[in-house]
Amino acid sequence: MSVQKTTRPDGQPGDEHLLAMISSVFEAADPVPVGLVDRIRLSVVLAGLDGDLDSELARLAVHEAALARGHPEESRTITFDSSSLTIMIRIDSNADGTVRVDGWLAPPHRRRVELTMANGPVTTDADADGRFAFLSIPRGTARIVVRPPEQSTGESQPGPFEIKTVVTPSLML
Amino acid sequence: MDDQLTTADGDMTARVRSAALAVDELVPIHTPMLWQVARAAGLGQQDAEDVVQTVWVSLLSHLDTIRSPEALTGWLVTATRREAWRVAAAGRKTQPADHELLVEIPDPRADSEERVLAAEEQRTLWAALRTLDPRCQELLRIVAFVPRPDYDLVAERLGMRRGSVGPTRLRCLDKLRVALRAAEGRKEGLN
Repeated sequence: MSVQKTTRPDGQPGDEHLLAMISSVFEAADPVPVGLVDRIRLSVVLAGLDGDLDSELARLAVHEAALARGHPEESRTITFDSSSLTIMIRIDSNADGTVRVDGWLAPPHRRRVELTMANGPVTTDADADGRFAFLSIPRGTARIVVRPPEQSTGESQPGPFEIKTVVTPSLML
Repeated sequence: MDDQLTTADGDMTARVRSAALAVDELVPIHTPMLWQVARAAGLGQQDAEDVVQTVWVSLLSHLDTIRSPEALTGWLVTATRREAWRVAAAGRKTQPADHELLVEIPDPRADSEERVLAAEEQRTLWAALRTLDPRCQELLRIVAFVPRPDYDLVAERLGMRRGSVGPTRLRCLDKLRVALRAAEGRKEGLN
């Protein structure tokens, strides 16, 4: 950032100069992670393409790495909460460089579950216990979309279901 | 932006698409500011990433209520701060969190502090910043990334009374200048 260096009569830096110095200190010490802006833009564009803002954004609740950072066989457990659903996933590395994603929905429901990635979604169905799994997924940015029953099956469901599509923030697999 | 959104009200999909296009342009501009807001709240890297992302996606459904660039900056800072505190509170149940602002920059990369130390001016400023009270530290860290016309509104959203905002910012900057002078005085004393 190039800000004109201003000095006050007492030899101290002026307000603008001081603020520019502060921002450059933090830019150096704690920069925006590489790729974050692109991941966010992907999320925004995907949300726009869905055109489904009635969907509910699940929020990160718990994120735990089972092994030390940087361990090649790191396993992570992430929990997302929304008002209607809790989504818990475990991400494990496969030997071939892909990842396996195991998930649970609580309360348990049979739902269509999508893993949305840059090159398109893959889908699976959660079983009656709310369990689902993606066995071999390329590493990269993805997010999970849990469809309500109508969209899951293409059939009308009995009962006054008021269940929205639930999406998670995108995450690095 | 506003016109597009209000005239497209009848068509949800078109409205959302135009919001997504508008937001997509704003993401690179304001993400550095929101990153600092989330980190100043004490979040780790991964949590801070999730929080900033969540705020941007939720902006899509709030964009039509925001009428000016200043209001946008204020909305983003407020939403990020709230979400960051929410996540920080949830995280405390499972892991001890370090919420001491700037006592140590919570950056796992070992070389980052080295890069800071490389610049003498930055090192002095860093030391001076750390002597300020947490409120001034947070205010200056965030305001340093806020576009200038939006300063006052953002500072107000940080919990300061209207009318006391400008003086508070100036007071924090004055305290920093005093701390800088003291740090330089110590350096000269050593030479």
